[in-house]
Amino acid sequence: MMHDNVIDRSKDITILELLDRVLNKGVILTGDIVISVADIDLVYLGVKLMLSSVETMEQLKSGNKIIPK
Amino acid sequence: MIYAILSVQKPPEANALLEGLTGMSGEPLQMVSVNDISAVLGDMNKADLVADKTNAIRFAGVIDQLAMHFTLLPMRYGSFMQSDDTIAAMLERNYDGFQQNLHKVENRHEFGLKIFCDSEIIMEELRARSRADERNIIHAETEIKKSIYADYVNQKLKLHRLEEMLLSYVDSVIAEIIQSLSKLNANNKIRKMVTPSNIIDAVFLLEKNKKTELVQTIEAIQSKYPGLKFVLTGPWPPYNFVDFAVT
Repeated sequence: MMHDNVIDRSKDITILELLDRVLNKGVILTGDIVISVADIDLVYLGVKLMLSSVETMEQLKSGNKIIPK
Repeated sequence: MIYAILSVQKPPEANALLEGLTGMSGEPLQMVSVNDISAVLGDMNKADLVADKTNAIRFAGVIDQLAMHFTLLPMRYGSFMQSDDTIAAMLERNYDGFQQNLHKVENRHEFGLKIFCDSEIIMEELRARSRADERNIIHAETEIKKSIYADYVNQKLKLHRLEEMLLSYVDSVIAEIIQSLSKLNANNKIRKMVTPSNIIDAVFLLEKNKKTELVQTIEAIQSKYPGLKFVLTGPWPPYNFVDFAVT
């Protein structure tokens, strides 16, 4: 049985999943992606963006299941 | 900046829906259309687009709002084009690809599943399951006992066998997931051993009305593997099921 506190503990995991999708996935518009670097590691390779993880998923070892919205 | 590519059957209705939505900096959203495919965009200054957590969450919020009303393909964050004309030309050039991908994700949601392991527990499980392999290792150690390299070789041999066992174990979990989800007609993309502890990283695309079945199926699998941590997220727009780069 899953409880609300499980969702709270897993909030950071959801944020990382979201960042991975928004910054690393989706339709790639070759040659026209423009981004400034803030507090995440960003490497520009030609015209395509390669983004390293904000934190490693290693930190999520203690994570648990999240109830889908 | 372009947020997403939509399938739009009735442009007047779509425009009416867009009027109630705004972009990540509060700008009004607009559409540029070619036949039944539209790009949703907001007028933003490139210099203002910083890739930080706050903006990424705002961007995802816009995509989520759009996904409530439309079948869509999310654009990667930071996709700019100069004018409506260049966007229309891009839609025309990539029309077939957009159509195929929109058709693939129609009425479907994406879910993510990451599986982590506690290495000590998992190794204990593997040893219990593979007593025969343990005996083989002992046998091999005996054979090379006289070598001056015995310690080194034995250590490497044990490590190699444990890695093989772990890979085989991960493959068996993946096979069970795929078999269990086959009844849900889900598309999947699965990577294994992403890190030593993240042994499986999977995404699924399945019909919106099958969310409960997915959760129940994953719960049932999880109950068979007490040594593994399952992290299921979603529903997401189909970020991971866009299989082409536009030109």
